[in-house]
Amino acid sequence: MAMTTRQRARLSKTIQIVVFVAVILLLLFSLDWEKARYAFFSFEKLGPMFPDLIIIGLRNTLFYTVISFAFGLVLGLLLALMKMASFAPYRWFATGFIEFFRGIPAILVLLAFGFGIPQAFGTSWPQPVNVMLALGLVSSAYIAETLRAGLQAVPKGQTEAARSLGMPAWRAMVTIVIPQAFKIVLPPMTNEVILLTKDTSLAFILGASIAQYEMTKFGRDGITAIDAGLTPLVMAGLLYLIITIPLSLVARKFESRSARTKR
Amino acid sequence: MNTNTSTFKASGVSITGLHKSYGDNEVLKGIDLEVKPGEVVCLIGPSGSGKSTLLRCVNILEQPNAGTIHVGGFEATDPEVDLDKMRRTVGMVFQQFNLFPHLTVTQNCTVAQTKVLKRPAAEAKEIAHKNLTRVGLGDFGERYPDELSGGQQQRVAIARALSMDPTLMLFDEPTSALDPETVGEVLSIMRSLAKGGMTMLVVTHEMSFAKEVADRVVFMDGGVVVEEGRAKDVIGNPQQTRTQDFLKRVLDPTHVEISD
Ligand SMILES: Nc1ncnc2c1ncn2[C@@H]1O[C@H](COP(=O)(O)OP(=O)(O)O)[C@@H](O)[C@H]1O
Ligand SMILES: [Mg+2]
Repeated sequence: MAMTTRQRARLSKTIQIVVFVAVILLLLFSLDWEKARYAFFSFEKLGPMFPDLIIIGLRNTLFYTVISFAFGLVLGLLLALMKMASFAPYRWFATGFIEFFRGIPAILVLLAFGFGIPQAFGTSWPQPVNVMLALGLVSSAYIAETLRAGLQAVPKGQTEAARSLGMPAWRAMVTIVIPQAFKIVLPPMTNEVILLTKDTSLAFILGASIAQYEMTKFGRDGITAIDAGLTPLVMAGLLYLIITIPLSLVARKFESRSARTKR
Repeated sequence: MNTNTSTFKASGVSITGLHKSYGDNEVLKGIDLEVKPGEVVCLIGPSGSGKSTLLRCVNILEQPNAGTIHVGGFEATDPEVDLDKMRRTVGMVFQQFNLFPHLTVTQNCTVAQTKVLKRPAAEAKEIAHKNLTRVGLGDFGERYPDELSGGQQQRVAIARALSMDPTLMLFDEPTSALDPETVGEVLSIMRSLAKGGMTMLVVTHEMSFAKEVADRVVFMDGGVVVEEGRAKDVIGNPQQTRTQDFLKRVLDPTHVEISD
């Protein structure tokens, strides 16, 4: 009973679909619907979380994301330039810094700032500053690599043309190379913002006043404060998606646009 | 040619004992070359002979290992020289055009005028337009480089260089990346620059252009100047066998000698 290649492909596809549907059905039947609805979808009980979840939690999530990204961007650009510098110690420093902060979990950095680094400087900083420094340091390591790749993707002839018109190196960088690199790094940079948005949820481990809570902290407190199972976390999750999915769409748009103009 | 009708201020180039190596690979092995103000010199030679490297040493896009280069009033090889100031006077045209793709044609021609020479925007634009008109692209100012043909892009690159009022122009195989039908438009602009009295150092494989426009032709091979002289002598009646072999190959590409 010999099958043609096409018949075999069709059979294999059919088997895949059958298995997939079977797994879904199994999960649906083994689910206790009553308990699941209570645990995940008791939205009607979330009244007490509002409006604070939005006007404090969402606001702080966005706030922490923006200030951490701003700090990470400035530091990341500096690191990228250091990594490309002709002065070797700059390169060593940048490489060490980047490998260190890419290699350890963000939560460790956050804990260090929450429970030690300010004291080591003999002061204490407001929590937003700790979040900004910790997440900014971590994201700067990733941003530096993204920016370096973008800057190096601009052809060398661009710098040579700029220099041969009499532009100093910094001017060629600022006016000719960076604007072109910017277009190249927009999609990966948008992804950095998405990652950072989610990483701000780690801020909940630092004790803080209610005014400084971000969405995950609200969700977590909601679990104990409200009899709605995990629904407060589901709610927080939905709010994250409201931020991250549009960013994702924007990144994809940039990607297709630069694919079109780059001939 | 040195004529009193020249439209450009012209400066000369003087190169003595120029050496350049990349690691162990000595690419320029002691070059002496003189280009007088208003003179057009074509550099010819097989690929890999160091023509581009020589050209790029003139405005120090490559750092020479030894030798001296004078460009106009500047000593390019002096470690103290203000390279940015010197490069303003030296226009360079690349094989791959190297236009700035994120800027319009006009902006390509104004960006260095405003940022480097600090010319007011209006004046820079006027000068850009004058030079774009000179290369036949007066109506293309609002386009972006990737909307133009190769020949048009190279003409913009020439206008961009001219907008800095250079006293010397360097061309590195300006027509080698072009479709055959657009080579002529670029060459005719270069011809008119030469007529206007511009000092030009041109790397090219266009022998008929060299014969017609160059005051002098320099043949390089293996990092040395093998032969130089009046265009019609070097191209029409070469004395060195290496020059003869090269010209045979360039002028009749079907004529290939396979040596063992
Ligand atoms: N940046 C560089 N690094 C290393 N070697 C180079 C570099 N640029 C040129 N070369 C070498 O120098 C030699 C001469 O190159 P080039 O000046 O471009 O010759 P031409 O323009 O006559 O074809 C070649 O062997 C080339 O491989
Ligand atoms: Mg070359």
